[in-house]
Amino acid sequence: MERKEAVIIGGGPAGLAAALKLWEKGIRDLLILEREDHLGGILRQCIHDGFGLGRFGKSLSGPEYAQAFIDEIIRNKIPYLTGAAVMGLTKDRQITVITREGVRRYEAKAVILAMGCKERSRGALGIPGERPAGVFTAGTAQAYMNLYNRMPAKEAVILGSGDIGMIMARRLTLEGAHVQAVFELMPHPSGLPRNIIQCLEDYKIPLYLSHTVTEIHGDARLTGVTVAEVDGHRKPIAGTEKRYDCDTLILSAGLIPDNQLSADAGVVLDSRTKGAVVDEHFQTSIPGVFAAGNVLHVHDLVDFVSMEAEALASDAADYIRGANFVPCTVRIRAGEGIGHIVPQKISAERDFRLSLRVRDHYKDCRIVVRQGGQTVASKKMKKAIPAEMIQMNIKAEKLQKEGELEVCVQ
Amino acid sequence: MTVTYDVVIIGAGVIGSAVARELSRYHLKTAVLEKNLDVCNETSGRNSAVVHGGFAYDEGTKKARFCVEGNRMMEQLSKELDFPFLCCGKVLVGNTDADMEQLRRTMEQGAKNGAEGLSLIDEKKLHELVPAVVGKFAMWSKTSGILDPFLYTVALAENAHANGTEYFFDHEVTGITKGEGYVLHTARGDFRTRWVVNAAGLGCGKISDMLGITGYRVIGSKGNYIILNKKLGELLPMPVYPVPSNTYMGIHVTPTVDGNVTVGPDAENTEDFAYYGVPQKKMEYLAESASKLWPHIRKEDQIRNFSGILPKWVDAHGAIQDFQIEIRDDIAPHAVNLVGIESPGLTAAVPIAQYVVELMKEREEFEENPSFNPNRKGIVRFAGRSRAEQEALIRQNPDYGEIVCQCEEITRAELLEAIRNPLGVSTMTGIKYRTRAMMGNCQAGFCQMKIERMLEQELGIRPEEVVYSRKGSWVLSGKLREEG
Amino acid sequence: MKKVYTCIICPNGCEIEAEIEGTYVLSVKGHTCDKGETYVRQELTAPMRTIATSVRVEGGELPLASVRLTAPVPKEMIFPVMEQIKKLSLKAPVEAGTVILKGVCGLASDVVVTKHIKEFKHI
Repeated sequence: MERKEAVIIGGGPAGLAAALKLWEKGIRDLLILEREDHLGGILRQCIHDGFGLGRFGKSLSGPEYAQAFIDEIIRNKIPYLTGAAVMGLTKDRQITVITREGVRRYEAKAVILAMGCKERSRGALGIPGERPAGVFTAGTAQAYMNLYNRMPAKEAVILGSGDIGMIMARRLTLEGAHVQAVFELMPHPSGLPRNIIQCLEDYKIPLYLSHTVTEIHGDARLTGVTVAEVDGHRKPIAGTEKRYDCDTLILSAGLIPDNQLSADAGVVLDSRTKGAVVDEHFQTSIPGVFAAGNVLHVHDLVDFVSMEAEALASDAADYIRGANFVPCTVRIRAGEGIGHIVPQKISAERDFRLSLRVRDHYKDCRIVVRQGGQTVASKKMKKAIPAEMIQMNIKAEKLQKEGELEVCVQ
Repeated sequence: MTVTYDVVIIGAGVIGSAVARELSRYHLKTAVLEKNLDVCNETSGRNSAVVHGGFAYDEGTKKARFCVEGNRMMEQLSKELDFPFLCCGKVLVGNTDADMEQLRRTMEQGAKNGAEGLSLIDEKKLHELVPAVVGKFAMWSKTSGILDPFLYTVALAENAHANGTEYFFDHEVTGITKGEGYVLHTARGDFRTRWVVNAAGLGCGKISDMLGITGYRVIGSKGNYIILNKKLGELLPMPVYPVPSNTYMGIHVTPTVDGNVTVGPDAENTEDFAYYGVPQKKMEYLAESASKLWPHIRKEDQIRNFSGILPKWVDAHGAIQDFQIEIRDDIAPHAVNLVGIESPGLTAAVPIAQYVVELMKEREEFEENPSFNPNRKGIVRFAGRSRAEQEALIRQNPDYGEIVCQCEEITRAELLEAIRNPLGVSTMTGIKYRTRAMMGNCQAGFCQMKIERMLEQELGIRPEEVVYSRKGSWVLSGKLREEG
Repeated sequence: MKKVYTCIICPNGCEIEAEIEGTYVLSVKGHTCDKGETYVRQELTAPMRTIATSVRVEGGELPLASVRLTAPVPKEMIFPVMEQIKKLSLKAPVEAGTVILKGVCGLASDVVVTKHIKEFKHI
């Protein structure tokens, strides 16, 4: 058992940013554990541009965004292990890692969860029908194409208007596949508006809202899907079924924080975010275990992932140095119109940044934070959509030391 | 040119594979013809995976006899053949007086069949056994269990193969010519043989007709299932069934040997023996019905669904008949005809196979194969071992230190061994079922690309040649850019 | 004529309402920065897009190097540009930031590598 001040699980954007910030704060005895052979996480396969506008003021591709951090990691000689799969985490912050060199074990003062997220699979979506080849999640198709040089489709249909799905619609089209349409269960798109323009409209790929795939056909390779319109309760409307002949179905119907490890360790999870319940320091229910990035809640932009991980690392550095955090006993609740909020607990004694998503499309609305009937913060929004993460800075001076905070849309 | 075999077995399901293994105890040149690309692709692998006690079948039937015998053998078989089997018991849970009466009848029938370890238990004992179940009393069958039907069939087949049996996949028998012996026709050549064993499962009626044994009416009974993720296994130490009717076991919840839970099956007659689609309504119905027994089925825990079709031999009135295992010396000598081998065929496979061999030996003397080895080793699994054992495995073979499928903790070493399987199976699902890779929560999202690449590299094939499961199930259409 | 645009310059995706006459933009509203107005004018006369794709790499630890354009190109040139990029080939090692094709299709845009690709070494 090797002791470390900080072990970071995951070498994607969250893990890299957290490591750099810890280093900057003087924490030297740290280690990044990455299961793949390279640092960078999912950004390695996100070869499209549009990353980094917030952070670097220019539009970078995913690999470039990651490389900017990796260069710093290497320049500072921050220790990392690749090909290192963490297969065990305990509440005593002991970590078991499988590598080609053997089983390694670490005990860390602070563990930083930065495992990212996974995609909702066909099974999780419960799509009925046969089980042929040719049903891929968007990220899997993206990895095949951008990392492995393998083409997964000729004639494709996409279910779900998540950003990766739309980006894959364009990517497939550029590489010679034909994308017939994108179908979205909800009455509004789930990805960013710019992607509807530059990934779908530019390539004349129609987007059908309030539609879903009701059956998958084919006993060998996919031969087609049946699509139907859905009603206000998201149930297929009988008589609206239409068959699309295709050999590939790409699923882009949501990301879920990957908390298999956290759950094994006993970290309390939030049923809304599917990530850990955290306080204003991004500390989970287990003292010394922190979480940030997509493992905590799914972000829309990587720039926010990096920022969140840095905020985490600043506090984690204090924790490692023995700082006593003020207990976070004030709960924050997602009220009317709010999908989820992070953090879920605060001390009410220091300023914090609230991240949230709305549940529906709103125009000219106001996000309001209340405590005991008093409005403690509010943010005017020209539009608020579920696809975009909203952040608000909340001042401690406005807060009472007791009493739940409620966030809602007005 | 056609080779002459002593025996050709049609079908590499659990029955065909068990027959192959039993026959490999003798000096016989045996081949197995399978239309799919792997063993256990149809009925054998698409069921509840329960090792039955033998109480549910009418006294005096082959189903009762072979089920009880198979149940008694399973422990020994799992040791010889190294496949996952757990004698965990099972409960049939009731609430009403009528349920109690039915359970008493089942107990009596079980006793007559020779099923061991049956008892009626009260609510308290029931909840000791299965805390999370809803019910007032139950019949407990101590000797029932669960196994991995795919790995069981693979084990039988690999052991038969190691003892000399030849396997031919993608070989569908399209016709049989009788003469001196038999000539079995396939699209990939003819097979001349002295003996034929019809272990074709859902195809048993067709093959029976080809042998000239006509008149069997075989219907398909389709059952749908949903699979729940591994967390749920902890809440279910053994299968939980409702009180059965005469012909149908009812929708039950069953732990798998890997800790998942299956929910199902419903039962519906079908003419289509190749359609395995699961309709939306069925999924909802299964979850709802089983929740009455075991209220832990949440939508977010459902990781996938599947279905299976049982071939049932029925009479003119549609009444389900016993297993038919016969040699019709008048019509088709030297042909063992198995018809309507449905549940409990998985439990009964080896006794059925032994019976098949007995029937053959009544007609011909077989010379024993002195080099027959009943033992077979499966792939050494990494997951679930102590850290010290894992350390030792990695030291022996560093590929054990490379986790490819994180959800199920499957290593490169296991995948390579699966790809190099003795039967020469090369489908993605073949690798999946042999290792459990791609079966976890992410359903292959992160690992399938790596496994696909391993298949290309190990087999020296192009991406468009990689097959998912059945013939024609291509995974990739090619490369984006030519590789130098 | 009124027309609504969704700006694609940044993830904010402002909905911009423009008053248009022919190819002239009379007024815009709804944009939160100057780039929005420029975008609408450009979109009306000659829409420009950028693309990202991959180039084959020989002897690399990965078979592909990701690339992007350094500046947007006219929308209708996307597929001709793709055809040019598909013909390119690199030898490992490849450094991110390397321009591998200047002025693709005679346009004021270069193809630049966005990922380091090391040489593949047999162990």
